[in-house]
Amino acid sequence: MRELPAIEIANLSQKYKSSQENTLTNISLTINYADVFGLLGPNGAGKTTLISILCGIFPPSSGEIRFFLEGRLLSASERKSVLGFVPQEYAFYEELTPRQNLDYFGAMYNLPKEQLEVRREELLETLGLTKSADKKVSAFSGGMKRRVNLAIGIIHKPGILFLDEPTVGVDVQSKNAIIRYLQEINRQGTTIIYTSHHMSEAESFCNRIALIDHGNVISQGDLSDLKVKNNVSDLQSLFIKLTGEEYRD
Amino acid sequence: MFKIYSSLRKEILLLINDRVGLSLMFLMPLLLVFIITIIQDGVYKVVNENQISLLVLNEDTGAQGSKLVNVLRESGLFKIDTLAGNAASQESLKSELLAKGKMIALYIPKGFTSGLETNADQVSSILMDDLGLEHDSTATAHAETPALSFYHDPVLQQNYTYSVMGIIQSYMSVIENSLMIDNMYRTMDLGNESEKLKNRMINNRVKINPVVASNNNSMAVPNSTQHNVPAWTIFAMFFMVVSLGSNIVKERVNGSFLRLKTMPTSFILVMFSKMSVYILVAVLQVTLTFSMGIWILPHLGLPELSLPSNFLAFASVVFMSSMAAVSYALLIGSFARTQEQANGFGAISIIIFGAIGGILVPTFVMPSYMQTISNFSPLHWCLEGFYILFLKGGSWQELGLVFLFLGIFILICQFCTYFKLRIERIL
Repeated sequence: MRELPAIEIANLSQKYKSSQENTLTNISLTINYADVFGLLGPNGAGKTTLISILCGIFPPSSGEIRFFLEGRLLSASERKSVLGFVPQEYAFYEELTPRQNLDYFGAMYNLPKEQLEVRREELLETLGLTKSADKKVSAFSGGMKRRVNLAIGIIHKPGILFLDEPTVGVDVQSKNAIIRYLQEINRQGTTIIYTSHHMSEAESFCNRIALIDHGNVISQGDLSDLKVKNNVSDLQSLFIKLTGEEYRD
Repeated sequence: MFKIYSSLRKEILLLINDRVGLSLMFLMPLLLVFIITIIQDGVYKVVNENQISLLVLNEDTGAQGSKLVNVLRESGLFKIDTLAGNAASQESLKSELLAKGKMIALYIPKGFTSGLETNADQVSSILMDDLGLEHDSTATAHAETPALSFYHDPVLQQNYTYSVMGIIQSYMSVIENSLMIDNMYRTMDLGNESEKLKNRMINNRVKINPVVASNNNSMAVPNSTQHNVPAWTIFAMFFMVVSLGSNIVKERVNGSFLRLKTMPTSFILVMFSKMSVYILVAVLQVTLTFSMGIWILPHLGLPELSLPSNFLAFASVVFMSSMAAVSYALLIGSFARTQEQANGFGAISIIIFGAIGGILVPTFVMPSYMQTISNFSPLHWCLEGFYILFLKGGSWQELGLVFLFLGIFILICQFCTYFKLRIERIL
């Protein structure tokens, strides 16, 4: 199963009307089933644009993307039910409680009421939110908000999960809880595409990576192979070696 | 169905949690209707009521002073409140005028009757001389024509004061002419034959037919309740821009809208839910403020609000006004970059629309160029719709124009919102 593709990206390019240069140029990647795939790169490299295109927020200027579930090609209408997205922002309603947020977004994923209630309670328990489940999210700490953000993205048990810096700005305890849970769902077969600036976290979490810079994939493959090939001991050294030490403001 | 229910529930929960928005949408119109109706009621009474309140101090001991008071009272133009001659004086009339809250007062001096009779004697004496008829010239004494004093509140416009004085002068002429005719008939020993002539002179004067001519499609003038209840309800409806507008900005900025785009759901459902809940809010606002107009304002001595008889037209005006308010909030919410922008611009624009649209000050008291400008305010058309309901029985023909303008406004707002959300890739 792990050799089956989950996402195939071919010659994908993106050019915004407001920009003279391509944000993404001829990206071609294959992400396999149950991979934890790290999309890494400096600020402005094009990671968020790529994730937005993959999630269907907007179409690419050119290129093709194909999604698979257990080897079966997904139709356009099936994709949205299979994909999960955890954005970098707290994309939920802070005036509502975690339960109310999960109820709403779960319903938007077409989960039946009974199934949604079971899944909601399961997630609240797993992510340590049960005690605060009926309090407004606006009063939560950054770590708790990150967990709510994650819970919404996985309420429907997605086959393919996109995570845009899911642990940014959280304490060690919350970060560990999030990563532990992500590893657990990955073991159950969820393909994870993940972006982060935490190289040590990415190194311990991802099995494959793609390094993107200036809209191009500059390196991709198995993480341990890439380290050997580039003669570096860790991901951070690999990152600096391939992208340089200049500021990217 | 569960999806629609969940979407509506989310909007209701967001609304319930927005305390500021709720108080602006529900408490504000109640307070405004209550306060402004009381304040403006006096002004509307001056404009609308047929009777002019007049305080009279009659110190004349003869018949003509009382006759003048009776003629003024019987005219139906004045609501007369008299001060007893013994208890009051001309000096105290001014303070009595202000204390009693009246705008005008009339003072009839001592010797008013004798002065008028002397004047009539002099006129008839001159006439008899000119006709060469004999008369008792020794009876004619020389006296000054008596003067009435007319007191008025300084806030009254000069033309209003002169109009009232003109009316009193007109009734004085009737009395003076009557006295002269009586005097001449008596001098010529014609007895009581003067009645026929007097009736002919008094009742067969040139008539003036009143014709209502308006320049802003408006008709009769509403009373303070008929203006203020719908006006401030509309104002509050449009103030939903603070709640709905900032709600949309928040969802746009924090990425909730984009997140929804990754889900197997239509954005139309999101917008439908928002619009439905806020249209329901607008209907509740109408129910609340109109209930106040029907049941509470009459207890405060203010005019009662009578619901329009054409219920379908009433429901249509409420719906179109709600849609206009919701569409404007969507527009502001989609264009504002921050909640502060949405709240600030939204609130100020509604106050400006309200001012030029006749919410704060009715358009019928505005200069003509402002009446033209008011056509650019959606609040003006909403208010026109309610005026047509209250003052014209909800004429569909006249409501057509209101619906046309509101419809155009709604379409513009909805299209602009759609294109802005398209540009942001939310739609």
